[in-house]
Amino acid sequence: MADILSLVFRTFTSPAGLKKQLPVRPPPPAAGSSLLLGDPDLSRSMLLLAAVTAASELGMRVVFFTQTQIQSLPVSLQRCFSYPRTLEELLLQVASLHESTNTCPTPPSLIIVDRLEGFLCGAGGSNHSGSHPAQLSCAAHLSALLCDTAAFLTQVLGQRGSNSGPCRFIVSFLSEVDTGQGSKDPSGTDPLLDVLDRYFQVRCTLDRDRGYGAAAAGVQEAWHVYLSGRGITEASFTKGCEEKPWFLTFFPPEHKAESTCSLPLDQGCQTHFSSGSTFT
Amino acid sequence: MRSVLPAVAEQLFRDIQKTYQETSQIPNDLLIALRFVFGPCALQALDLVDQHSVTCLSSPSGRKAFQVVGGSGTLYTCFLSCHYCPCPAFAYTVLRRNEGLLCKHILAVYLCQAMAVTQQESVSDQQMSILLSRTSAP
Repeated sequence: MADILSLVFRTFTSPAGLKKQLPVRPPPPAAGSSLLLGDPDLSRSMLLLAAVTAASELGMRVVFFTQTQIQSLPVSLQRCFSYPRTLEELLLQVASLHESTNTCPTPPSLIIVDRLEGFLCGAGGSNHSGSHPAQLSCAAHLSALLCDTAAFLTQVLGQRGSNSGPCRFIVSFLSEVDTGQGSKDPSGTDPLLDVLDRYFQVRCTLDRDRGYGAAAAGVQEAWHVYLSGRGITEASFTKGCEEKPWFLTFFPPEHKAESTCSLPLDQGCQTHFSSGSTFT
Repeated sequence: MRSVLPAVAEQLFRDIQKTYQETSQIPNDLLIALRFVFGPCALQALDLVDQHSVTCLSSPSGRKAFQVVGGSGTLYTCFLSCHYCPCPAFAYTVLRRNEGLLCKHILAVYLCQAMAVTQQESVSDQQMSILLSRTSAP
């Protein structure tokens, strides 16, 4: 899945980005899963961009699970979205994806889950996350189910000679450590993240830039985007630009410069991705 | 299972598979190695193997999963491609304390696969979905 995120970044890096041929290398088997960490609104926008890019640029069938109704979706995309209300509904819907392989000619090759923490909230009878054992088990169950489902769908895609395989999945998650609520764990880490790391090979971390550089550059918001994890360090990923940090900058709506390839996000601003060490 | 195990564990299962194919037995040195690598749950897992507790479920879609009957008769569904078990030991020892690689049920699946003694059973696609999505053992 990190390859799809990297494609999103590269697509929106330059004004000519959308016109370029941007081949996506098939990820190694271990790199088909990514965990998107950080601001939930920005995460959702990134997931939507990933879904639209995968569907439009690569012709992939996308399944998008979220608890929040997405407004103003194109008709062609509406059938990609599913709105489970609880963790149990989400688990059943993910577990049922194999059933469609009997009837649907093309199985999904990208599975997206928006805001995992929302599904885990209340799981195991607790509103606290992290240290509740039942919640750890629920997080592991969903992650393992996604891994197993993606592995099965990859096999089906391969048998059918599809070009869109292997099946990838990406999940956004807001850790309690990031919300500032802290963790009961004395090490300061979120036990839920440790569990998720067992099943996700790539982390994509969104970190807001609060330095003076962003303000001086006249941008409304600036974010560092880091890709990390054992999936990134595998040989086929170390040769590309995926290991570099990315910057995501939001220009005020009236600021039209460098926005020819941008897409409007939830915040109503324009986005611009850049790779390197300076703001553009 | 296609999960990534430490090389020593992978080699151990290969040795068990080879030896069991030839002699229908697991020699003492491999039993000691199992105990050394996996700790106390090795003996419990071997007990589950002896009781033919591991079944590979298949559905018409081609989806597969393992079901293990625990010591108390509880059914645990384990995945084909990664480590997860809804049992309390997996939640506590593996997930929470990070003290073990796997629980006795998953180890029993590995051993049954190596020894080719896994039971086979067919279920409908809908039954498979329910089994895979169940959040806790019944």
